[in-house]
Amino acid sequence: MTLATQLGVAFVWGGLMALERKAFLQAMFSRPVVAATMMGLLLGDTLSGLYIGMVLELFHLGSASLGAAIPEHETLAATGTTAAAAALSRSTGSPSTSALWAISILALLWLGPAGRKLDRYLERFASRSAQKAIDRAGRGELSSAMRQNLWAMWPHFLCFGGVTALCFLAGTWVAPLWPGLPLPLVRGLAWAYPAIGSVAAAMGVRGSRARQAPFYGGAAAAVVALSAAVFSLWKSTP
Amino acid sequence: MNPTAAGAAPIQGEVSSLGLSGWTLWRVFFRSLFLQASWNPQGMQNLGLAYAVFPALQKLYPDPQKLSEALARHLAFFNTHPYVGAAIVGGVLHHEAKIARGEEPPATVDNFKAALMGPLAALGDGFFWLSLRPAVGAVAAALVPLFHAGSTRVSGRWVPWLHAGAPLLFLLLYNVVHLTLRAKLFRLGLRRGDGLVEELGRQNLPARGARLRAVAAASAGGLAAWLALEFGLHEGGRLAPVLAGGCLALGVVSYGVVRRQVTGYAALYLAALLAIVAGASL
Repeated sequence: MTLATQLGVAFVWGGLMALERKAFLQAMFSRPVVAATMMGLLLGDTLSGLYIGMVLELFHLGSASLGAAIPEHETLAATGTTAAAAALSRSTGSPSTSALWAISILALLWLGPAGRKLDRYLERFASRSAQKAIDRAGRGELSSAMRQNLWAMWPHFLCFGGVTALCFLAGTWVAPLWPGLPLPLVRGLAWAYPAIGSVAAAMGVRGSRARQAPFYGGAAAAVVALSAAVFSLWKSTP
Repeated sequence: MNPTAAGAAPIQGEVSSLGLSGWTLWRVFFRSLFLQASWNPQGMQNLGLAYAVFPALQKLYPDPQKLSEALARHLAFFNTHPYVGAAIVGGVLHHEAKIARGEEPPATVDNFKAALMGPLAALGDGFFWLSLRPAVGAVAAALVPLFHAGSTRVSGRWVPWLHAGAPLLFLLLYNVVHLTLRAKLFRLGLRRGDGLVEELGRQNLPARGARLRAVAAASAGGLAAWLALEFGLHEGGRLAPVLAGGCLALGVVSYGVVRRQVTGYAALYLAALLAIVAGASL
């Protein structure tokens, strides 16, 4: 796939996911673990999508659109970060590694709050469409008034698709810097990924809003740790 | 397949009682999936609701003046949970059919919407947004490593589609519940109108939500331990226990500090900085 095709794919998938999240269906295609994995798959780097999506899913587990409140845009964070990571991996020719996922997450995690601001900004277009619909319905142009509901989605698609495509381009532009990073820093970034994952999982435990969340989370962590210890002992026994 | 015939089968009873064809009801249901397309701070889902019920109103009110008046009723403020909103969309058709036949005054449908949109929004938010989605999301995230390891072992090489097992499972688990309930609620609104509240009460969604939230917390906790151990052993080399233990400690500490009003972002960047410094210097 050429660079231009990949850029187009990033734009379309980023835009579609933003629409699915807010305007149509809401069947959770736009959740980070799904949207990022699909973005990775489309750009030929599934592993980046899977592991970036997993961490962002946990980090944003508790975010919800309640009433008129607008939550952080976990979808833009997931699609944008994965697009950048895939572009970085493609441009450098290096395999997808935890250091690469960590730097992509750290560089683009702000897309969540930025997406919320963009969402808020785009409300003015939706307000304008709704007002147009009311005016047209008042003049008896009913079918045309109803079509405004669909027109209101386009700015969303274009803006979020555009930001995702820019993230892909950013990944391509910074790629020449990647091979020049000092090895200790790359090693540090590789260490940062599980640290980021642990914090994201802690946010997930908190975001679950379970009444005894620390108990459930801690008990499950203890079971996994003990199972791993028993398994490694069993494997090391001759 | 003829869409009219396909659509008529599951909603036969409603077709005869409302005077609307199965195809019209399917169109309304499909259009209700766009309930939030033009969400705005003033009318919120007003245009979305009007858009959804428009095909049914066209059938119920052949007179353009009456159609215009009916549509104006649904361009007023409206906001509820988008899934549970299907029950209100169904209920609106139930009442509009009666209004069109002259059995009810037009104000009934306004009162119906005003009375139900708030409580149903709270019910939908509590069950879908705050319980089902976090639970299925956390389970899917926790299954990512298992699918990854399993598919590599089975195939012996990198097969992208097999690795997408966890996200696919997420979509399947979530949407079996989501789409079934959405369709069921639409039918409930069509059939029962105001009576849908009693029926919804019997579903006992809040109790089910509490169990799902516990599943979410456990899955996230288990995954935290796995991430620390797996990546600790893989990336840490001779310092593997330091990295694994450090990551587990960072998870526990960050849970504690976030409870004390520190943002998740601050905790994450601080943890990453510590890990980078440790990884680069040790």
